[in-house]
Amino acid sequence: MNVSDAASSALISLSDVELSLGSGPARVHILKKVSLNVGAGETVALIGPSGSGKSTLLMAMAGLERIDSGRLSVGGIDLAQQDEDGLARYRGASVGIVFQSFHLIPNMTALENVAVPLELQGRRDAFVRAEQELGLVGLGHRLTHYPSALSGGEQQRVAIARALVAEPAVLFADEPTGNLDETTGKQIADLIFETVRRRGTTLVLVTHDNALAARCSRVIRIHSGIIDGAEPVRSAAE
Amino acid sequence: MIMLARAGRFALRELRGGLSGFFVFLALIALGVAAIAAVGSVSRAMTEGLAREGAVILGGDIAVTLVQRQATPEERTFLEGEGAVSEIASLRGMARRTDGSDQALVEIKAVDGAYPLTGALDVAPAGASLDPAKPLQALADPELLTRLGLSVGDPLDLGAARLIIAGTIASEPDKLATGLGFGPRLLITRAALDTAQSLQPGSLVQWSYRVRLGGSADPLAVSARATERFPEAGWQVRTRDDASPGLRRNIDQFTQYLTLVGLAALIVGGVGVANAVGAFIDLKRPVIATLRALGASSRFVVAVYFMQIMTLAAVGVVIGLAIGAAVPLLAVRLLADVLPVGAETGFYPVELAIAALFGLMTALTFALVPLGRIRDVQPAALFRDVGAGLPARIRWPYLAAAIASAALTAGLAVYFAYDRRIALMFVAAITGAFLLLRLVGWLVMRGARMAPRPRSTEWRFAIGNIHRPGALTASVVLSLGLGLTLLVAIALIDGSLRRQLTGAMPENGPSFFFLDVPSAEQARFTDFLAKEVPGGTIESVPMLRGRIVSVAGVKAADLKPAPDQAWVLQGDRGVTFSATLPRNSRLVAGEWWPADYSGEPLVSLESRVADGLDVALGDSIEVNVLGRPVTAKVANLRQVDWESLAINFVMVFSPNAFAGAPYTVLTTLAYPGGGDAAREAILMKDAGRAFPAITAVRVREALDRVSDILGQLMLAIRIASSVAVAASILVLAGALAAGHRRRLHDAVILKTLGATRRQLVAAFSLEYGLIGLATAVFGVLAGSLAAYGVVAGVMKQSFYFAAVSAVGAAVAAVVITVALGLAGTWRLLGQKAAPVLRNL
Repeated sequence: MNVSDAASSALISLSDVELSLGSGPARVHILKKVSLNVGAGETVALIGPSGSGKSTLLMAMAGLERIDSGRLSVGGIDLAQQDEDGLARYRGASVGIVFQSFHLIPNMTALENVAVPLELQGRRDAFVRAEQELGLVGLGHRLTHYPSALSGGEQQRVAIARALVAEPAVLFADEPTGNLDETTGKQIADLIFETVRRRGTTLVLVTHDNALAARCSRVIRIHSGIIDGAEPVRSAAE
Repeated sequence: MIMLARAGRFALRELRGGLSGFFVFLALIALGVAAIAAVGSVSRAMTEGLAREGAVILGGDIAVTLVQRQATPEERTFLEGEGAVSEIASLRGMARRTDGSDQALVEIKAVDGAYPLTGALDVAPAGASLDPAKPLQALADPELLTRLGLSVGDPLDLGAARLIIAGTIASEPDKLATGLGFGPRLLITRAALDTAQSLQPGSLVQWSYRVRLGGSADPLAVSARATERFPEAGWQVRTRDDASPGLRRNIDQFTQYLTLVGLAALIVGGVGVANAVGAFIDLKRPVIATLRALGASSRFVVAVYFMQIMTLAAVGVVIGLAIGAAVPLLAVRLLADVLPVGAETGFYPVELAIAALFGLMTALTFALVPLGRIRDVQPAALFRDVGAGLPARIRWPYLAAAIASAALTAGLAVYFAYDRRIALMFVAAITGAFLLLRLVGWLVMRGARMAPRPRSTEWRFAIGNIHRPGALTASVVLSLGLGLTLLVAIALIDGSLRRQLTGAMPENGPSFFFLDVPSAEQARFTDFLAKEVPGGTIESVPMLRGRIVSVAGVKAADLKPAPDQAWVLQGDRGVTFSATLPRNSRLVAGEWWPADYSGEPLVSLESRVADGLDVALGDSIEVNVLGRPVTAKVANLRQVDWESLAINFVMVFSPNAFAGAPYTVLTTLAYPGGGDAAREAILMKDAGRAFPAITAVRVREALDRVSDILGQLMLAIRIASSVAVAASILVLAGALAAGHRRRLHDAVILKTLGATRRQLVAAFSLEYGLIGLATAVFGVLAGSLAAYGVVAGVMKQSFYFAAVSAVGAAVAAVVITVALGLAGTWRLLGQKAAPVLRNL
């Protein structure tokens, strides 16, 4: 399969993507001519040393960071062509994001946090679906708790439920187990992989944890904003 | 002690970080302190001016005033024995152009060659004076020349005299002692007054004798001798130490009102202080947690932050004092034209100390509860985001300390007040408003929580934001509510008073009051009016001036009247006699005397005054009229409809009480169907020609004049209250700004989850609008209630609900809340998500 074929069938497609952050003398060139295709249902790990640009790459794919040049499309949506609201709609409809620091809204209950993406879409069943989703991540009994009353693992479960409740095509996860102890981290990783497998969701994961990366169908190494190389694609069954 | 010293060191170390984030805190403390310090300093400058220049203001070391009669030769000899004497006659009159085309009511002051005994008369052109060699000259207020279109050197008619205007009066040293009148001043010689033939038996003239004492004579001793030597004189003796008791009282009262408004600003600001301290503690959670993790006790950490907050409060106080001390420089200059007090700007440490005390006490009161939250910060916060943004537990010891501090501040406000009753009412009103606003905030949040979930996403977010933990609702309701209540109350009080003066001219109310109609000319004058104004309503009553000497055997000075009726005992009042019950009066107790009554003199009292003086039917009242004591028995009480503007008197005597006494007549004229400016001007001109000695007062002009004075007072109140409203808006802005950190977090996450800017703007607008609306409704209700209490309860006037002002203020409140809220939110919307997420 050649590159253009791969791009046409890929869910996420990046071609010669350049991205710099900051301004003036503090401007740092982060992503350099990055080209990458991710197929539907793939699980991809982005690994690399701190400051290599992996989180920035993930943010760009999630529509949280704008690229300077090149082409970046997800699910056929050219992200470079979208305005802020276009990107917001894209995130709401097509992707779910899980952060290392959970980023729950502190003054909303677990249920309200999970319902937010559906509420933003105007879904009338937002709270019913949110409750189901929380049940699926094992928090059916913690619906009315505020984030501050939940453990780190529970907060990350809420974040995963929130990311998946709108049934996005892609789940982006940035160090999802980075703030958790080993046992809890493993439980969260199991939850993520089990869920994306069951739903056929594409997963793009940033991690420092080689064991976690090894659970993905493909591992992509980034160094100084350049993709070093990718391990061969393995089937999901592998 | 060692712990405190160490805490102080820590506090100073942390303060090295600068004052950023404390702008609103500093501004609020400075604003309130500046208002109180400025009001106190200006007032002190004025009262000190009054005390220092007492002799100039009074026109002498002592002044003796007689109504409707000159001093007897014995009295005059007595006064001349004490020092140099100057005699002055003050009365109203009509000054006319010599061609009769125009005239104006003037306040005449006829002086002798000794005037002024103290101070200097400032005239233009320089050197102009009342030359004894040319007695038919006058010095006039420039306003009179403008109104009559005359210039210096032109002739002017006053009664039967034709006077030449020798110059204009720039400043009159004893203006206050003579009193401010309804017309411009005309200063003439005694000879000119005689030529004018303005003085008729019973004319409403006040004779004043100023005495410049020789050497080191004590004015109080002379005053005591004067009262002792001539107990029946019925004269009022004033000394230079209390040259203008009325003005002094007014300054004291007005100072109190303005100080209370300043204190209201400070208390509104206190809400901002609490918000700022709360936000500061939130921001410092990692530092606090670190200190705790390193072994600091919570008491130590509280001490560190308490010291920081009070140091910052002290900085705010110093800024406020600097502004407050500088304001008198400007104010004294501005007031110089209004009050010839010669107030000098000074530095008034007592007034500044009081303002500083209020500033620090307010900061302490409002900082204590948020400081208590330090105890909730656990070292674990370093590892987990525990408790951030959630409402804190109430720490009862801190709340109790805050309540004690508030009570002490309230106690100080009452202690320093001129009228403690009013100050207590203020404290009660502020406390009530605070509690009510907390209740309103709670109800709004509860209402939002109970509301059914709306279909619209924006509404759902807005309503959710109103009731969620950490919502802005309580602080916005409190800060906006206090300011708005004050604004509405002042607007409605102003509206009610103005309407009474200008808007509510009673139907068939008189257009003219004619003063000093000689009793002998009454019939001719009435005929004249009847011919000029066919169908007009003409009423005439005899009028004399009298002063209450004693009530039921108790001397006036020893009486304890109700504060709102004390005016009856101050100076002389118009009195009349009548065989029948006057119109617009209703008997409420006792019976009216028979038309041919000839027994012991009787008097009818206005019922509210009778209540205020605690007078019952059958009590005796002694009144000094024309230097003669008249004792009458209270025969009945009347209720009077003052607002009809018809002639009415507090005291109406039986006709035999003043048999044979000279008097003039007060006549009123009402046009059929109401007067108009053109017809009134023509009548004034014709009456001036035909009856030059009669003084015509146009009701419309008099009310305008009162309205102008009221306007100036309201302006001062508005300036002071604008400080409170500014504080309110600052607090609101501060509360919204404090919420921005959380807003930014929420907005970014919502955007990450797919919220569009339109959705966020709509949700935030709805949230701010709903909170603003709830507060506005409360503000209008509470402000109206407060205004009603002041107008109907304290001022005993009828209340008018100026809906436009009230609703206008409410709409402004909603607009300001939404605008300020969105102003901050707008920045958030443009914020890119990624950098914020990285830093969260």
